[in-house]
Amino acid sequence: MIKQKHYYKKIVITVLFTLIIFVFLFPIYWNIVTAFKNPCEILAYPPKLIPSEWTIYQFNKLLTASNGVFLQFFVNTLIITVSTIFLVLIITIPCSFALAKLPFKGSKIVFILILLIFMVPFQCLLVPLYTLLTKIHLYNTKLGLILIYATFFMPFSIFMLRNAFLQLPQSLFESAILDGANMWKIMTNLYLPLSIPSIVSCIIYLFIETWNDFILSFMFSSSNYVRNIQVGIMNFGKQRFSSDWGIINSGTLIAIIPTIVLFIILQKYYIQGMVSGAVKE
Amino acid sequence: MKNKNHGILFCLPTLILLSMFFIYPLINVLIMSFQNWIVLGTPQFIGFKNYIKTFQDKEFWQVMSNTIIYCLIVTPMIFIPALFFAVILKKTNKKNAILRTSLFIPCAISLVASSYIWNWILNDTYGILNFVLFKLGLINEGINWLGTTWSARFMISLSVAWKTMGFSMILILAGLSSIATSIYEASEIDGSSKFRTFFSITLPLVKPTLMLALVLSIAGSFKGYDQFVIMTGGGPMRTTEPIIMYISKVAFDHYEMGQSAAISVIFLIILMLISYYQIKLGDYND
Repeated sequence: MIKQKHYYKKIVITVLFTLIIFVFLFPIYWNIVTAFKNPCEILAYPPKLIPSEWTIYQFNKLLTASNGVFLQFFVNTLIITVSTIFLVLIITIPCSFALAKLPFKGSKIVFILILLIFMVPFQCLLVPLYTLLTKIHLYNTKLGLILIYATFFMPFSIFMLRNAFLQLPQSLFESAILDGANMWKIMTNLYLPLSIPSIVSCIIYLFIETWNDFILSFMFSSSNYVRNIQVGIMNFGKQRFSSDWGIINSGTLIAIIPTIVLFIILQKYYIQGMVSGAVKE
Repeated sequence: MKNKNHGILFCLPTLILLSMFFIYPLINVLIMSFQNWIVLGTPQFIGFKNYIKTFQDKEFWQVMSNTIIYCLIVTPMIFIPALFFAVILKKTNKKNAILRTSLFIPCAISLVASSYIWNWILNDTYGILNFVLFKLGLINEGINWLGTTWSARFMISLSVAWKTMGFSMILILAGLSSIATSIYEASEIDGSSKFRTFFSITLPLVKPTLMLALVLSIAGSFKGYDQFVIMTGGGPMRTTEPIIMYISKVAFDHYEMGQSAAISVIFLIILMLISYYQIKLGDYND
């Protein structure tokens, strides 16, 4: 009897969990099916939960609209995102290493300044950043956006990597010095290979933040050669009198696929990074 | 001895970027807020005039209250489900792992994407929400969800809560997992009910993490922008216009850079106060 009761409970929980997952992920499902429906079915009444035929008509239309401008947005975003990741890693790895292992006069101040970026969101600095970018002729350039992303997304990476370096035993550092290795070598050949998980977390964090940014790209770019994919979707969304929901849904789907795939593949690192980014452990 | 030079050399690129794109703009926004900045012509110092003008501005108080109302709606919408799911998914097994992942997936998508996804669901003529409610006999005609003030505020909050709930849940889960199981075992031996255990043991022990998740979602709601641009554009009647949208309007539509800088500084002070708690709770510094 008890066993049977337990069995029922298990079934109820499974059904309940499935239901929760279904309701929770329904918006994404609805986005996917709308993107693959044919144009008549999108506006059909009653709405069809499963398309009668799966078609890439909407994607064709999206990618060929205005001389393939959507592809341009996609490529822009990819270039900007990858460059930001590279730039941040190149500058924050040595910095985190120095903050963890090579304390110098004023290293506390450097750390506090980096902490300050966390406290002052870039949303407060839109106006001075705009005037700065125009002054140095980087308004409406990919480089301008990359530099701003790098500045405001690097604190996370510094916290992550500094912690990773601090957690490695001090004896490792001392023995390397006794062997006569220089600091750069110690960092690249010894500490970096031991901190791969943290670096992966940084890369995922940077990818998702940069790829998903809207406001900076929206404010600091004015041409289709710079705008990112998020602003690109909005261009399609607000272009016509009546929105073309097929195109919007297919554009949205293209924009969310890279981050969702990355998240699902490297879930562990992502969550670990997110958590330690918010709470220092 | 040589090490001391190395340290600062290693930090140099970071420091250059930091001073150019962070320190300089930060100082500049403070200076600009005391200036009469018109796009052409040289800026003049005008003391606190920008601030006085801001505090006398009816629109400023409108966007402030919009932002605060939004914060008050969205925070419980994120927080209560996050706490609920964190508690029921605390045990690590396969079923829980699948549900956790599913609840976290929306965190990976952008606010622009989630806003469009919800716009399509909420569409007044073709939206599936209206269809479902109509079939259930709850409504007689399609509701324009984003067309009236309060329903727009709730629906924007719903879409954001859907997108960000997973993050708070993961944070709370991290806090829960740090509670030693021996405490639960002891309370079980003492015969306390699940309800009692939750309120007398779990909640107090996980309080710092809860506060952190709370502060993060409050700060996030103050910084909200994308969702408002996409879902309502600030309407109806500017009742969903957040502070950031106002700052950018004053700067880039009215060309009043000084005024916009003053609003930015006020906003910055509010956010600094909020993130002061974040850092205190997160304990970043050793």
